[in-house]
Amino acid sequence: MPKSLLIISRQSPWSGINAKEALDIVLAGGAFDLPIGLLFMDDGVFQLVPEQKAAAVQQKNLTANLQALSLFGVEDLFACGHSLSVRGISPAGLAVDDVEPLSAEDIRTLIDRYDQVITL
Amino acid sequence: MNVLTLDGKNIPLDKDGYLLDLNDWSADVAQALAAQAGIELSPEHWEILQLLRDFYQEFQLSPATRPLIKYTALKLGTDKGNSLHLNRLFNGTPAKLAAKLAGLPKPTNCL
Amino acid sequence: MSTLHVLSHSPFSDTRLDSCLRILGRGDALLLCGDAVYALQQQSSTLEDKTVFALEEDLQARNIECPQWAVAIDYPAFVDLSIQYDKVNSWL
Repeated sequence: MPKSLLIISRQSPWSGINAKEALDIVLAGGAFDLPIGLLFMDDGVFQLVPEQKAAAVQQKNLTANLQALSLFGVEDLFACGHSLSVRGISPAGLAVDDVEPLSAEDIRTLIDRYDQVITL
Repeated sequence: MNVLTLDGKNIPLDKDGYLLDLNDWSADVAQALAAQAGIELSPEHWEILQLLRDFYQEFQLSPATRPLIKYTALKLGTDKGNSLHLNRLFNGTPAKLAAKLAGLPKPTNCL
Repeated sequence: MSTLHVLSHSPFSDTRLDSCLRILGRGDALLLCGDAVYALQQQSSTLEDKTVFALEEDLQARNIECPQWAVAIDYPAFVDLSIQYDKVNSWL
C-alpha cells in the first residue's frame, strides 16, 4: 500500500513559485496513483478565486492547471474555512469544483489521516 | 541549440526536442517531428494530437500518461482512450511523444 | 496520531505560527528553529500550554533564554523527535 500524502498549499498564485510547486507535487503524485489530498490554507485559498487574469502579469494560469486535478486522479480537495472567511471568499462559486471547506478541528483530523504532510 | 530545419526555416527546440514556442507548431512541423521518431501520421494520430492541443488550451499543461488516457476516453470514448491504443500509436510513450508532436512542452509529471 | 510541526520563520513577520496553532492537535508538538525561536520572546505567549522544543544553537545565536515551559534541544534530539512523532510537518 503506497503512503498517502497531504499537501498544504498556503501561498497565493502571485507570490513566487510555492503554489505551482505544491500543485506539481500533487499532480505527480496523482499520476503515480498515490492517495493524495490537497488542502488550501492561508493565502493558498486565493488560488481558488475565479476569474483571475494571469495574462495581465504575464504569468501562467494556475487556475487552469487546477482544473486538471480530477483527470490526474486527485479528488480530495479541501480549503481552510477560516482562511476563506477572513479573506472574504465565499466557499460557493470557487474556481475549482468540489472543494470541501474545513474547520480547524476537521483539519487536525485530516492531517492525522495521511501518512505524510508537506506544507508549502 | 537544437533546431528543426523545415523549408529552410530553423525552428528552435529544447534539449529534448520539444518546441520552445507553441506558436511554431503546424501540421508540417508535426510531420517533420514524427518522421524523426519514425512515425507516419495517420488520421488516428492527428485526432490525438488535436486532443492534446485542446488539453493544453484548457489546462495550460501537458498531461502525464494516465490523465491523457482519461481525457481521451472522455472525449473519444474508451475504444481510443486506453493505453493499448495510445501506446501503439506513439511507440509506447504516448504522453512524451504525442506532446512533442503536438508542439506542447514536455510533461513535467512524467518522470 | 501525533505531528511534530517544524517552524523556522519569525512569528512577528509571518503567519505560519498563527496558522499552525489553530490546527495544532492535542498530542502535537512545536519545534522552533531559525527565526521561529523569536516566538519565545513573545509577551503574553500563547505557547505556554503547548509542547514546545527549540533548537539550542539558534537560541544561543540570538541570545534568547529558553523559558521553563519549553525544551532546548540539539540536532541529535531533533532527529529523535522526528522519529518519535508519527509525522513531521515542516512549514516551509
